[in-house]
Amino acid sequence: MQFFGGSDISPSPPVATGSGSNGHMMYVFNRNGICLLYREWNRPLRTLSSQQDHKLMFGLLFSLKSFTAKMDPTSVDKGNLGVPQLPGQGCSFHSFRTNTFKLSFMESPSGIKIILVTNPKTGDLRESLKYIYNLYVEYVVKNPLYSPGTPIKCELFNTSLDQYVKNLA
Amino acid sequence: MVGREVSESCVDSMIIEMVSSYCDRFCSAKPELAARRIEAIGYQVGLQLSERYTMERPRFSDHLEAIKFICKDFWSELFKKQIDNLKTNHRGTFVLQDNRFRWLTRMSIDPSETNANTSDDPSVATTESKSAQSASMHLYFPCGIIRGALTNLGIPCAVSADMSNLPACSFVVRIKA
Amino acid sequence: MAPLAPRTGDAVFANVERVNAELFTLTYGAIVRQLLTDLEEVEEVNKQLDQMGYNIGIRLIDEFLAKSNVSRCVDFKETADVIAKVGLKMFLGVTASVTNWDVDGTSCSLVLEDNPLVDFVELPDTCQGLYYCNILSGVIRGALEMVSMKTEVTWVRDMLRGDDAYELRLKLLKQVPEEYPYKDDE
Repeated sequence: MQFFGGSDISPSPPVATGSGSNGHMMYVFNRNGICLLYREWNRPLRTLSSQQDHKLMFGLLFSLKSFTAKMDPTSVDKGNLGVPQLPGQGCSFHSFRTNTFKLSFMESPSGIKIILVTNPKTGDLRESLKYIYNLYVEYVVKNPLYSPGTPIKCELFNTSLDQYVKNLA
Repeated sequence: MVGREVSESCVDSMIIEMVSSYCDRFCSAKPELAARRIEAIGYQVGLQLSERYTMERPRFSDHLEAIKFICKDFWSELFKKQIDNLKTNHRGTFVLQDNRFRWLTRMSIDPSETNANTSDDPSVATTESKSAQSASMHLYFPCGIIRGALTNLGIPCAVSADMSNLPACSFVVRIKA
Repeated sequence: MAPLAPRTGDAVFANVERVNAELFTLTYGAIVRQLLTDLEEVEEVNKQLDQMGYNIGIRLIDEFLAKSNVSRCVDFKETADVIAKVGLKMFLGVTASVTNWDVDGTSCSLVLEDNPLVDFVELPDTCQGLYYCNILSGVIRGALEMVSMKTEVTWVRDMLRGDDAYELRLKLLKQVPEEYPYKDDE
């Protein structure tokens, strides 16, 4: 799967493998752009190193948010394209769909960004992302052994996340 | 009687921060000293809580009765549940087991470290023991609370804890003769 | 689907797990006492309490946001109200009033009439200069920094020092936008 260009995108979406599993992968970034978590359930093709992959994903979100705010027809007050915004400022997008995947996105005012990539037929995941944010609070932030801003290595979080994503419709 | 309440996160986050301040900032080079300080804070809290909870109560006639008070009333005030299992050797050692100790329910150790045990790389082994050590640092506070509470009831003792089976926790109380 | 409306402080507090405040108050008291013994200088204790509060604030902010449904914190006036009515309520079970706004709307006071940190507390004379509740100002500073607001939070009135209320002064220093953290040639 590639986000930009590339000629090898298949015309029809791949059939989701596994037992009703729609989730492909998930990213969690913090406000400093650090990838706190990358979790993968179903990703047959990898074209980049994980570092490049994370950077590309963060860049995509950053540009897209800036772009949507600039295009906003309801607001006069808009910055210049590419000028950084405050989290929660301006309008933002919550998902986009290609013929092979759907990307759903949420950002908390504290700059935590949760990105879930799923099968393109998946429905509205905004509530699911909020639920995942709550899982992050319960099992990551409240884990006495977790230091804020460091990569997430919490078994309790991973288990409950896997369980939840497996049952996403 | 339901007195004033605060959110559980207030207490949890304060304890987490107290433990990490002592371990990483005030006594970073001396884990034993950090452990003693954290235990001392717990001791102080246990002493005062036990004083409050026993104000209108007759004195306990023996050690077992006092320990049962800790397992039932005292534990319920703090954790809204009782100790699940109490064992004793009848020679002054008591084991108090909480099958789901509230302060450990969200503790989760790095899953990759479980495999690191078999590694030959010494640096990996160090991280592993470091993580286990920081986990055990969180037990000095409740151990101190139990010791303080029992001391207030006239029972000097030593308290240690074992959490090899998260989120269960066993506290071992050894009463000093 | 419209975004959910932010919840009231009472509603959030009713839904979070709560514990006996004695444990909280006595634990905090024991920490302050231990710090006074270990650090000796009252000034240093004030500093460390503030630092501990800051570290707690950067953890608590996400729980606050997740449970209150607050979806943006861009306006400082609105933010101060949310701290006073929802944030303090959700964690400590009390509220504050927001007063004394300056003309440009960048500094205000939070006045607390009730403060669970200080139940059963009396400061001995040896603690002159101690800001007993300094952890709270640190929490607010840390939490606000995570929502892009650099602030200065100081105690103006303190009942433990003989004043008639607890008053915190919040001053917005600057709002820090999110930067793109990567260099292009990386």
